[in-house]
Amino acid sequence: MAKLPHDDIYELVREPIDAAALARNVRAPEDGAVVTFDGFVRNQSHNRSTLYLDYEAYESMALAKMREIGLQIHEKYRIHRVAMVHRLGRLEIGQTSVFIAVSAPHRAAAFDACRFAIDTLKRTVPIWKKEYLEDGAVWADGELPPAPAATPRAKPAS
Amino acid sequence: MPLAPSRTAGYNSPVPPVSQTIRVTVLFFGRLKDVAGHGADSAELSDAATIEQLFALYAARYPELAKYRSSVVASRNQEFAAWDTPLRSGDEVAFLPPVSGG
Repeated sequence: MAKLPHDDIYELVREPIDAAALARNVRAPEDGAVVTFDGFVRNQSHNRSTLYLDYEAYESMALAKMREIGLQIHEKYRIHRVAMVHRLGRLEIGQTSVFIAVSAPHRAAAFDACRFAIDTLKRTVPIWKKEYLEDGAVWADGELPPAPAATPRAKPAS
Repeated sequence: MPLAPSRTAGYNSPVPPVSQTIRVTVLFFGRLKDVAGHGADSAELSDAATIEQLFALYAARYPELAKYRSSVVASRNQEFAAWDTPLRSGDEVAFLPPVSGG
C-alpha cells in the first residue's frame, strides 16, 4: 500500500477543531494555495429547528477510510499536504464538525482535491449524526456506502 | 523415581474435529445499535458461516433488525464486505447504516 506523506493529518477528535491552525499547518514555501472546507452545525434540518447534534464513529474504520481518501487525492491531484479532521460527540450550532485543508502549488488541484475529499468522506466514512430537534431526536438520513456485491467465486477445478 | 504418565497422550489426535465453530466480534452502529440494544457482541457460528448468516442470527433475536437489511452495509475487519463473505475466527464484523458524517 502506498504511504501517505508523514506531515499529513488525519484525526477524530472530541474537542473543538482549530481550523486556522490546520490551515496554517498544511502550508509550505513551495505551495501557492490552500483550499479549506469547514463543515459546521446548521440550526435547522428539514425545516425543523436543531438544538444540537451528536456524532459517533466506527473509529478504527473511519480513520482508515479517511487515510484512504488522502491516498486517493494524492494520487489523483498534484497536491502537497492534507489535513482532515472530524469531531465526535455533542456539537452545538455553528461548531465545526469536519475540517479539510489541502495545499498545492496551484489552486485548481487544491480545489478539486478538497471537493473530492469532502464528497467521498460523506459517502464512505463510517460516521453517524443524531439530530436533536425541538420535537425529538432522529438519526440523520445518510448515504449507504458502496460495498462489494459478492465475493469473487473460486473457479471450479478443471 | 518413576516417570509420571504423559498427560498430553492422545491430545494430538490425527483426526480433525468433525465440526468447528468460530467466534467473531459483532458491532452495531447508529440506529442499528438502538435496535439491537447494544453496540458490541460476540457470536459463535459454524465454520465459514457468512456475514448474511450472522445478520440473520441477530435478525432472529431482534426482529426489527430485519427491516433494515436493505439499508445496511457490512464490514469485515474494517473493510466493506459482501454479504456472502465467509467468516473466520477472530473476525470483527460491523453492521453499518447509511453514513452521515460531515
